[in-house]
Amino acid sequence: MLHITRSSECDPYREDVDAYRAALETWLATRPPVFEAAARPIASYEQRVAVSCALMQVLFDQDWARYGWPEHLGGLGGDIRHRAAMWEALARHGLPAMALFEHLEILAPTLVALGDPGLIGQLLPRFLRGEQLWSQGFSEPEAGSDLASARTRAVAVDGGHVITGRKIWTSWARYARWCLVLARTGTPQERHRGLSAFVVDLTHPGVEVRPIEQANGTDELAEVTFDEVPVGPERLVGELGGGWRVAMHILAHERGTFGWYRHSFLNRQLLENREQGTPAGDALLGNALLDLAAVRAASGAAVRAHAAGGTLGPRAAFVKLMLAASEQAVNDWTLASVPDLAVAPNDDHTAVCRQDYLFSRIVTVYGGSQQMQLDTIAKQILRLP
Amino acid sequence: MTRGGDVGDLQEQADQEFLDAACLALRAQADASPDGAGAGDAAVGGAVDDAPGTRSDPLRELGWFDLLPELGDRDARVAALTLFRAQGRELAGTRALGALLAQPFLAAAGLPPDAAVATISRTSARQGKRLMVVGDVADPAGAIGMAGTALLIDRPGHGAAVVPADEIELWPVAVSGRLELHEVIHGPADWVPTVDEEHAAVARARARFLGRLAAALEILGAAEGALALAVAYARTREQFGRPIGTFQAVRHLLAWAQTDCVALEKVTTAAAALDGVQAAPPRHDEVVKALAGRNGRRVCERALQVLGGIGFTSEHTHHHFHSRVLALDALLGTSAELTHGLGAWLREADDDTTASALWTAPRLPLLPSKS
Ligand SMILES: Cc1cc2nc3c(=O)[nH]c(=O)nc-3n(C[C@H](O)[C@H](O)[C@H](O)COP(=O)(O)OP(=O)(O)OC[C@H]3O[C@@H](n4cnc5c(N)ncnc54)[C@H](O)[C@@H]3O)c2cc1C
Repeated sequence: MLHITRSSECDPYREDVDAYRAALETWLATRPPVFEAAARPIASYEQRVAVSCALMQVLFDQDWARYGWPEHLGGLGGDIRHRAAMWEALARHGLPAMALFEHLEILAPTLVALGDPGLIGQLLPRFLRGEQLWSQGFSEPEAGSDLASARTRAVAVDGGHVITGRKIWTSWARYARWCLVLARTGTPQERHRGLSAFVVDLTHPGVEVRPIEQANGTDELAEVTFDEVPVGPERLVGELGGGWRVAMHILAHERGTFGWYRHSFLNRQLLENREQGTPAGDALLGNALLDLAAVRAASGAAVRAHAAGGTLGPRAAFVKLMLAASEQAVNDWTLASVPDLAVAPNDDHTAVCRQDYLFSRIVTVYGGSQQMQLDTIAKQILRLP
Repeated sequence: MTRGGDVGDLQEQADQEFLDAACLALRAQADASPDGAGAGDAAVGGAVDDAPGTRSDPLRELGWFDLLPELGDRDARVAALTLFRAQGRELAGTRALGALLAQPFLAAAGLPPDAAVATISRTSARQGKRLMVVGDVADPAGAIGMAGTALLIDRPGHGAAVVPADEIELWPVAVSGRLELHEVIHGPADWVPTVDEEHAAVARARARFLGRLAAALEILGAAEGALALAVAYARTREQFGRPIGTFQAVRHLLAWAQTDCVALEKVTTAAAALDGVQAAPPRHDEVVKALAGRNGRRVCERALQVLGGIGFTSEHTHHHFHSRVLALDALLGTSAELTHGLGAWLREADDDTTASALWTAPRLPLLPSKS
């Protein structure tokens, strides 16, 4: 697949985020069928993936999804504010979730910054178009919060490395073609200094992906095993032994700017379920509104910092904590408001509410647990002894 | 990128500088006051003892009143509002809240910004509607150079009036928190509105937005003050042979408190950058004030837990911060009633209103657009 990069001198949208947003909203207001299909509540995760990919394909083909990504990697230029504006517009117009395109904002910025330009230039457009999706292989059965103890090995051979090991809780691996794997290229004693990051093709012989059925009834998670899977030198992301830096770059997005994207979909959830609210839930609803306002202000500042070329550093932990609190607050209210959520989740809408509610109880675990975020703040910001 | 890890831009730096300057000016005033304990304590006991002109007026020293006619300008507005955060941190007690609340009315009447201080109406469960005034207005001896301050009284439905000091009785209310509070007694018989209801209605909405934002910032400052005490204590207080700040349970209490402060800081600073109530999403002032009350109380509670018994003494400063948060939460709408009210409103509002409340006006915190 080949995309012709347009003559870039005078692209009005690239220079002007407001004009871009306005044009996108005008298009969304026509309610394109592919958008309508993705905006409906669908209990089956597999179907949700299908409609999301179909939508991304159209967003890419009509150029909307290409803004905010570098031109030499298949984008149309601009910066994170274009992406922030795009997902906000989609949520405002009724899209319920980013689903597995969350990795566009968690993984892709790091691939762009630290990956091999030849490789990423090929793969990013396929990701943006919903053709080839991604997953993140950090956690292992024995390495959860203590990520630096990861054991999956990457052994140097002629022409690259060979990877062997086991990853778990790999979101969307079932649907993904690619996985960014954190593997040990040094010794276990070197801890975080002995890790490197590689792009692995999940369809390669030696890779096995086993879905894990989740407690909320969806099956996003998977266990992935690698048995002597070869990767070429272009598959290394960052430097050899620089895997920790890659992981931190990714987690900084997962904790900071990601709040911007996710809170917009929480707003959507709240808006959709509003009619079912009763006066008994008003305090919970008001409380959710306060938490959402906090995430919006804090993650908005993160997006702005990012657009200006900075990062939040350890302060991303604040956004992560606020985001989790708001997701739980919204769902506390959902539980109080949606009848039958706990006892008879039969129709698609109720089933999705139940999935969301249960998922909101685990958001304090992934991307670095709540305890790890609090530890970061205590140590790096409050500088406690 | 060289700025690595720092979100601060030039704008934020300038705002920070004003905050520091305001803290210094307020601290200087507290140090200069007779018992060195800050204006609040002195006033409840005996500000009347001050000789005329002996107390300097930090609001004038900071040029704060000059900012009030310029609230349409982003920098002036942010500077004017930042004073309140400093006031919370320093436990200072000026009449700034009432002066800010009065500003839209005074402007409508063509009066200068220091012509009057607005009263705040409050519904007492036992006594019904009461009028309160915050800060150093009771200054009969003219110690800070004001020979009695005129008060602005707003009566929704009947306009607002500037009432001269001699038509008013002030009763001190004893609250902790180094906060000067007075109940205002003024007979309704001689009511002559200075601003008629039509104009007062517009001024009222503006004033309420500004006042809630200011109170929220003062709560933020007080919460930050309480947290700073607890963090310092956790570093030095030892139990089991080590500083209590090495225990994860204590560390996490402080980290949560810091998170609540940061949340409130982000929301208040984003709201201060908005050009008043017209530019804000619907009922945003209520969101800001409710968040302030909720987070402010949580911060003080966590700080108290870390301080242990010593934090519960009248001698320790914690209770001043805590009481100030509670008092400010009780004015201009409590967190409990606002939160409940916002929920009820959101449940019944139409989709467009709800959407604009949720996707709030930093409809672009992302701006300014690159040029
Ligand atoms: C929905 C979901 C999606 C995920 N997606 C991915 C993914 O795509 N890719 C990926 O690599 N991983 C993913 N993860 C894994 C996630 O990153 C880990 O679950 C997380 O790092 C915690 O590891 P653990 O589950 O092994 O828990 P553990 O580390 O065993 O922790 C269990 C509990 O102990 C606490 N704890 C641990 N150590 C300490 C300590 N020192 N002090 C105080 N408390 C402590 C933790 O906070 C937690 O509450 C996902 C997880 C979930 C739930």
